[in-house]
Amino acid sequence: MASARATQKQGTRRKVLEAARDLFNEIGYDETTIRAIAERAGVSVGSVFTTFASKSDVLSQVMEDRVDALYSELERVARHLRGSVADRISSVFAIHYDFECRRVKLFLAHIAASFSPTLEATTIPYGRNTRFKTMLIDLMAEAVERGEVRPDTDLDLVLDTLMAAYAWNYRLAAQSRADAAAMTAIMERQVALILGGLRP
Amino acid sequence: MNHIPMRMHVPSLRPQKLTRRAMAKQQTREKVLQAAREMFIERGYEGATIRDIARAAGMSTGAVFASFTDKPELFDAILSEDFAALVDPMQDAATTAPSAREALVAMFGVAYRMHAAQLPLIQAALAASWTRTPEAEQLRRETMRPVRALVTEALERGVDRGELSQRFDLSLVADVVWDLFLAGYRPAAFEGLSTEGQTGRLAERIDLVLAAVKA
Repeated sequence: MASARATQKQGTRRKVLEAARDLFNEIGYDETTIRAIAERAGVSVGSVFTTFASKSDVLSQVMEDRVDALYSELERVARHLRGSVADRISSVFAIHYDFECRRVKLFLAHIAASFSPTLEATTIPYGRNTRFKTMLIDLMAEAVERGEVRPDTDLDLVLDTLMAAYAWNYRLAAQSRADAAAMTAIMERQVALILGGLRP
Repeated sequence: MNHIPMRMHVPSLRPQKLTRRAMAKQQTREKVLQAAREMFIERGYEGATIRDIARAAGMSTGAVFASFTDKPELFDAILSEDFAALVDPMQDAATTAPSAREALVAMFGVAYRMHAAQLPLIQAALAASWTRTPEAEQLRRETMRPVRALVTEALERGVDRGELSQRFDLSLVADVVWDLFLAGYRPAAFEGLSTEGQTGRLAERIDLVLAAVKA
């Protein structure tokens, strides 16, 4: 049984994360102050700081909480993917673009913040999502087993190359307001290119 | 590659005759840029204030604002200078290389080497690139265009030489290669990867992509 105090702390945490998620997406990360987050959440500035070390810590927690639901769904879907390895991997990226584009400004802030020179130890920057990476590695390993991809392939290298293309495609959202469908279409061609040289 | 200057300082193009007033304005601008560059490298983008920059340049904050509307504009002006200075040495490295692969690795190696001394600046630039205004973005794209063109040219030469297949959309290949180049700044900034390490890492990735495009 959680104590009343622990329950209250949980409540504050949830309220702060929801307020921050909306503010980051509405007005942007840089423009959002801890004070504004506290105000929107209806808590004191001090209580935000007892729960989180910094604004970037709040951002990384917002992102962590958001993807929990996505991954339970994705891990279920991944088992049912069919077609070539390029098709399967493209589907996984498509689902991500779809999901992140619902709050694209929030996601762009997350990528931007990962370049910040002052990352706190508690902050989980963009690019450390191990579930995403594990899923893609598994799909490629299965393709090796099926004989679709050469067995001597350095899968980590391919993964890293795919992730670079995936991430930088978000600049289309940042710069020309591209939607998930547009990014998915480009990513499909990039996946085909990157995996194209791996046939046995 | 000893023709690459350690510190990039590109004198702006000057019309033949400038009035004294215009000359003074130009000098102020260059003084601000120089001071700002040092401040950004030393303190990072967020850490360097206009007040600090003005003090380092030995002028008032008002004088800084007479040359630049705000910090983002000042920052972009520095980046533009840097990328403009990269075009020639990158082109030299690319055109003397025997293959498309070597050309790409050599030209990006030049960029990595040049930027090694000012990683905080690059880091800040990459962070800012996700949240720019469309106008600032347009300007930035114009600045990068000549550098981007070098990538496409290196690939085109590869096709001409018969190394790379004609069946591929070179702009798609160029985009992926460019993404990989930019992604290579992260391990340098955060994991202390050396310039050689960065270049080697990029070479592996370029090999992977070009494997699919081989003739």
